[in-house]
Amino acid sequence: MKVRIKEWNAVSIWHWNVSEDEVCGICRVHFDGTCPSCKYPGDDCPIIIGKCNHSFHMHCLLKWLELETSRGLCPMCRQPFQTLGEDEVITT
Amino acid sequence: MKQQQAKAAGEGASTAAKKVTAAQLRVQKDLTELSLPPTMHTHFADPEDIMNFQVFLQPDEGFYVGAHITFEFAINLNFPHEPPKVKCLNKIYHPNIDLQGNVCLNILREDWKPVLSLNSVMIGLQYLFLEPNAGDPLNKEAAMDLQKSRATFAAHVKNSMRGGYVGPEKFDDVLRR
Repeated sequence: MKVRIKEWNAVSIWHWNVSEDEVCGICRVHFDGTCPSCKYPGDDCPIIIGKCNHSFHMHCLLKWLELETSRGLCPMCRQPFQTLGEDEVITT
Repeated sequence: MKQQQAKAAGEGASTAAKKVTAAQLRVQKDLTELSLPPTMHTHFADPEDIMNFQVFLQPDEGFYVGAHITFEFAINLNFPHEPPKVKCLNKIYHPNIDLQGNVCLNILREDWKPVLSLNSVMIGLQYLFLEPNAGDPLNKEAAMDLQKSRATFAAHVKNSMRGGYVGPEKFDDVLRR
């Protein structure tokens, strides 16, 4: 049987490189969803991973770090929050 | 995954229409995940307003066994970046609660962090009643009392809970509802 392809649509999916059932500890929304102030997931609402290995929506974390009361500490482990450098990100 | 993303985006859109704030979303999540011991209950005076409610505590052991303590929770729009504001509505004799009802609990003040939930705050409150902390007092007299002698402190607490006096202060009767 010969089949002639008239048209085709490419579909792709993506998700952040974190455990699938992990949520942002600040807003409690799944990482593949957005922080509460964004509408669409993706590069506009990235996640941020600390040297302590705790991750958050970037917007959620920045809002926390802006506050004086945060003293620059990770909301999870209270160590000074430092972003994991790009070369240090372990990709799987 | 895509479905989840679409759902998340959809949620974002519908909440924007209803103007549900980030704080309300997070409070809603915390409330659904609440798992309180049988000694604690929440009460929503206005079911439409999830940002203001009361928490009832009846300790089943410790100095305050048998008391009915009521706390008022007021959550502002900066939640979870700012802690909920918690006040004790009863005038009680407690080292970490002053006569105006202000509560001194580390996670409600300097140790607050946004990953803490309303559940952790409520459990923290219960802990204050099981193990009052004389090291970090708001009511200095009560703290000194506890430090000097647990037995005298216990007697004073018992008397205060019946609506009696400790020193010049008269306290609320919290044994009856």
